Amino acid sequence: MCTRHLSRRSFLAMTAAAASVFAVGACGSSAPASPTSAPAAPAAATPTAAPTAAAPTPTPVALATPAPQAAAPTVAASGTTIRQFKEAPMLAELVKQGKLPPVEKRLPDPEDILVVKPLNEIGQYGGTWNQAFTGPADFHAFDRNTYEAMLRWPADLRNPIEPNLAKKWEWSDDNKTLTLYLRKGLKWSDGEPFTVDDILFWWNDIELDKNLTPAPHAEYVVNGKPMEVEKVDDYTVRLHYAGPNGLALRMLAFHGGQWPTAFEKFGFYAPKHYLQQFHPKYNPKSDYKTFAAKADDLNPERPVLWPWRITEWKPNENKLIAERNPYYWKVDPEGNQYPYIDRIYMHLVANSEVINLMAANGQLDFQFRNIDVSKYSVFSEKAKAGNFHILKWPAADGSELAFFPNQTIDDPDLRSAFRDVRFRQALSLAINRDQLNQVAYLGLGTPRAATVLPQSPYYSEGIDQLYATYDPKKAEQLLDEMGLKKNADGIRTFPNGKPVQFLIESSITAGTGLDALQLVVKNWQAIGLKVDLKTMDRSLYWPRAIGNQVQMATWGIDRGLEPMVDPIYQIPFDNRSWFAPQWGVWYNTGGQQGEKPEGPAAQVQQLYDQFKSTVDSAKQIEIGKQICKIAAENVFAIGTVGMVPSIVIVKNNFMNVPETAVTDWIMFSPDNLNPFQFYFKQS
Amino acid sequence: MLAYIIRRLAAMIPTLIIASMLIFAIIRLPPADFVTTLVAQAAQSGSSSDQASMAALRHQYGLDQPLYVQYLRWIGGLLHGDLGYSFEWQRPVGPLIQAQLLYTVLLSLASMVFMWVIALPIGIYSATHQYSLLDHLLTLIGFLGLSVPDFMLGLIYLFISAFYFHQPVGGLFSPGMESAPWSLAKALDLFNHLIWPTIILGLGGTAQLIRIMRANLLDILGQQFITTARAKGLREAVVINKYAVRVAINPLISVMGMQIPNLISGATILGIVLSIPTVGPLLLRALIDVDMYLAGSILLFAVILLMVGNLIADICLAWVDPRIRYE
Repeated sequence: MCTRHLSRRSFLAMTAAAASVFAVGACGSSAPASPTSAPAAPAAATPTAAPTAAAPTPTPVALATPAPQAAAPTVAASGTTIRQFKEAPMLAELVKQGKLPPVEKRLPDPEDILVVKPLNEIGQYGGTWNQAFTGPADFHAFDRNTYEAMLRWPADLRNPIEPNLAKKWEWSDDNKTLTLYLRKGLKWSDGEPFTVDDILFWWNDIELDKNLTPAPHAEYVVNGKPMEVEKVDDYTVRLHYAGPNGLALRMLAFHGGQWPTAFEKFGFYAPKHYLQQFHPKYNPKSDYKTFAAKADDLNPERPVLWPWRITEWKPNENKLIAERNPYYWKVDPEGNQYPYIDRIYMHLVANSEVINLMAANGQLDFQFRNIDVSKYSVFSEKAKAGNFHILKWPAADGSELAFFPNQTIDDPDLRSAFRDVRFRQALSLAINRDQLNQVAYLGLGTPRAATVLPQSPYYSEGIDQLYATYDPKKAEQLLDEMGLKKNADGIRTFPNGKPVQFLIESSITAGTGLDALQLVVKNWQAIGLKVDLKTMDRSLYWPRAIGNQVQMATWGIDRGLEPMVDPIYQIPFDNRSWFAPQWGVWYNTGGQQGEKPEGPAAQVQQLYDQFKSTVDSAKQIEIGKQICKIAAENVFAIGTVGMVPSIVIVKNNFMNVPETAVTDWIMFSPDNLNPFQFYFKQS
Repeated sequence: MLAYIIRRLAAMIPTLIIASMLIFAIIRLPPADFVTTLVAQAAQSGSSSDQASMAALRHQYGLDQPLYVQYLRWIGGLLHGDLGYSFEWQRPVGPLIQAQLLYTVLLSLASMVFMWVIALPIGIYSATHQYSLLDHLLTLIGFLGLSVPDFMLGLIYLFISAFYFHQPVGGLFSPGMESAPWSLAKALDLFNHLIWPTIILGLGGTAQLIRIMRANLLDILGQQFITTARAKGLREAVVINKYAVRVAINPLISVMGMQIPNLISGATILGIVLSIPTVGPLLLRALIDVDMYLAGSILLFAVILLMVGNLIADICLAWVDPRIRYE
C-alpha cells in the first residue's frame, strides 16, 4: 500500500520535473543540428597531381579506336599516341600497397583502349557526387549514370551508332550474320576477363532459359526463329539471323547492356564467372529466386563493366554508394583512366518533393531525375545561395500528355467515329495548346503534334505542327461534315440519335498534369462532345488500357528521337499501342490474335516490316520518315505540348556538363553525356 | 495484476489473427498485383509485356497460388520469424524494416513523453489560473496545435529549416553518421534530428491533453473534498498536487491509449513528408506497388504496437487508480 502511494506521487513529481528540464532542452536546441553537418562538399581526396603532360617513354603506343561506320565526335580519331596511363590517387595508393595491379595491367590491350575526349577539358580526380533517388522503383536512377552496352548511341542521334564494348562490327554479304569484335583485355570490376563466354552464358542460360525469359526478346527473333550465337574466339562472336535484321545495331545500343537492367530483364551479357554458381542448371542447390537476387543490378557483389561499381546498398541507412571501378576501360586523350569522380553517393529519400528541396538547398551536385519543372522559380531564387546553376534540357517527349482515341474499341458508334480521320483532326484542332502550356508547363514546353522531335533522324519538315493549331471553328466544321449534328442541348449526336460521348481514362491523379487534362476536357466539350474524365492509379489503369477497355487513353509520348526500337506510338505494335490495341495484338502475334488492321495502320505495319529487314541505314531512315509522316498525318495519337525541358541542377564546381542536350530514356540519359568525364573543379 | 496481464495478452492472439486476415484481404483487394505494377513500369520503357513473362514472374513470386495459400504461407513464415520477401527491394522483409520500426517506435514514444511533459504543467496552470491572460494565450496556442495537421507543420518546418537556416533535409543522421558505430556523438546527432519531428508530431496531442487536463481539474476543484482540504488549512500546493491532480489525471491515461493510433499514423505520414526513415515511406510505396508481404508486415506491426500500447495504458490506469479492479 505504502509503496503504491509513494510511486504514484513520485510519478506526478517526475512529470513536473521533466517538464522543466525539457523546456530548457528545447530552448537549447532551437537551431536543430546546427553544428553537426555542413552540406557534403566534394570529399577530401585532393588529387596529389592533377593530370599533367606525361613524361615520354621510349615505346609510345599507337592507339587505334576504329569507328567503322564514321568518325564519331566523342571518340578520339585513331592514331592518338598515349605514352603513359595515369590513375586516380585512391587507386595509386592501392597499387602501392600491392592490393591492385598497376594501371597498364588493368586496362585492356593498348590498341583496344577506348579513348574518349572530355566535353570541355581534362578533369581532376576526386570528389563525391551526391544524388538523390526514391528507391528501386525510381527507374534506373543509378543505372543511368553507368550504362555500358555493346554499342553506344551517339550524342546526336542523327549520327551513326558508335563502338563501345564491341570495338567494331561487320555484316555478312547477305546481311544475315553480324560479327562483333570485342575489345581485347577488357576486365570485369573484379579483374576477371570479359570474353565471348559472358555473352554465351547470357544467351544460353538466361535468354533461352524459360524460367528466366519466357520467350527470347523480339530483337533476337527474325522470321520467327531465334538467332544463333557462334563463338569464333574469345573476342569474336557471330550472330546468325534467319534474315536481315535491321534492328540489330540499335538494339545492341539500347538493350546491349548487362542483364537484367533492373526490372526490364534485358541485356546482352552477364558475368559467367560469378553468376554460374547460382544458376540452378549448374548448381542444383540454388534456385531462380537466388539467381535473380544475385544478378540484380544493386547487388554490390556482382562484377560490372561500369565506371562505378556499387560498394554499399543499405536501404536501412538510406544510401547507395558506388566507388570507381579500378578496371574501367576508357581513358581521356592524356591517358587518364576514367572516371574522374571517386564515388557516387545516392541518398534514398521518401519522395520527390524532398529531392527538390535537397536540390534547392544545394545538397546535390548534379541531379537530373525527379526535378520538378513547376518549382523553377524556387530553384532560381536559391541558385546563388546553394552555389548551383539550372540547366534546361529538352526532353525527347513528343507530347507530355497525349490522347489515344481507341480505333478498336467495342462500341460500334465510337469505333466508326474514331476511325474517321476527320474526327481525330477535329479533336486535335480543338485543343488550346498555348493555354495548356502556360497552365501546366510554365510556358516552357512547345505546343506540337504527337510525333518525333526535329532532332530525330525521322523528322520531316512541318509534321510536328500538323493539326496542332487552335482552330475550334475548323474542328466544328469537320464534325458537321461527318454528320454529327448538334441537338437542342448543343450536344452532337450520331446519325442514330445517340450522343457523341466518350470517357477519357488516365493514370494522372494529381498535379499540373490533371489541370492539363481538365483543360482538354473543356476544349472538347466546347465543340459539342460529351466528354467525361476518370482517373485512377496506374496499376488499375494499365490492365484496362492494354485490355482494349479504354475509349480514350492518355499517356506521355516519349522516345521522340529514336522511336523505331519500340514504335508503339507510330504503328499498332502491340497492346500498348492504345490508339488501336487490337490491331497491335494482331501484329505482335503474327495475325493469330486481335483484329486485322486496315488503311494507314496496315500500311505503317508493312513499312515497319521493311524497316526491320533493311540493314542499310540511309534506306532505314527513309522508311522511318515515311512511318512518322503517315502517323502524324493520320493523327493516330493527339499531342498537346512536348519538349518540356527537364530541369537539371548542377553545382557550380561540377564540370564537363553540356549546356543543352536532348534527353531520352532510350539513350539512358544522362548516361549518353558520359558521366565518367564529369569532374569536380578543385581550387 | 499478473493474471490480468496474462489474460489480456491471451486475448490479443485472436485479435491478431483476425487483423492479419483483414490486412491481407485489403492489400489484395485491388485487381492489380505486384507483377501488374512491375509490367506497367517496365513496359513503358519498351520491355515486352506478354502474358508469358507475366506468368513466369507470378510463378517466381508465388502469386499464381490461390489467395488462401499465399496467406497461409505468409502466416507460416511469420511463426518462424520470417516476414516474407519484398518484391520491390529484392530482399527479406525482416532486416529491411527493422531499423525503420525502431525509429517509428522511438519517434512515437518521444512524442508521447513530450506531450505529457508539456501538457500536464500547462493544464494545471490553466485550471488554477482560469481566465488569466496566460490561460487565454495557452488556450489559443492549444487550439492552433489542435487544428493544424502535423503534415502541414512538417512542411512549414522543412521550408524554414532549409531556406532560412540552410539545414540539410531528410534523414535522421548527418551525412557520414549513418553507418558510424553507436557513440555519444551519434546519439546526440539522432536527438538533434529527432527533436523537431517529435515536437511536430506531439503538438496536436499536447493541445488535446491540455484541454482535458484543464477541464478535469476545474471539475475536481469545485468538489467538496477540495473545499474540505482547504478548510483543514492545507497548503494550496498540497491541495492541488496531492488531492486534485491525482484524481484529474485518470482520464488522461485513458486518452493516452486512444492517442496511440494517432501517433503511429502521424509518425507514418511525417516520415513521408520529412523523409525520415520511419516505416512511413516504405509502407506508402509498398501499398502503391502491392508489395504485399512488406505492406502486410508493417501493418501487422502497427497493429501489435497499438495493442501493446493500449495494454500499457490500461495497466498504467489500473496502477494509478486504486478504484479499478482487475476483474
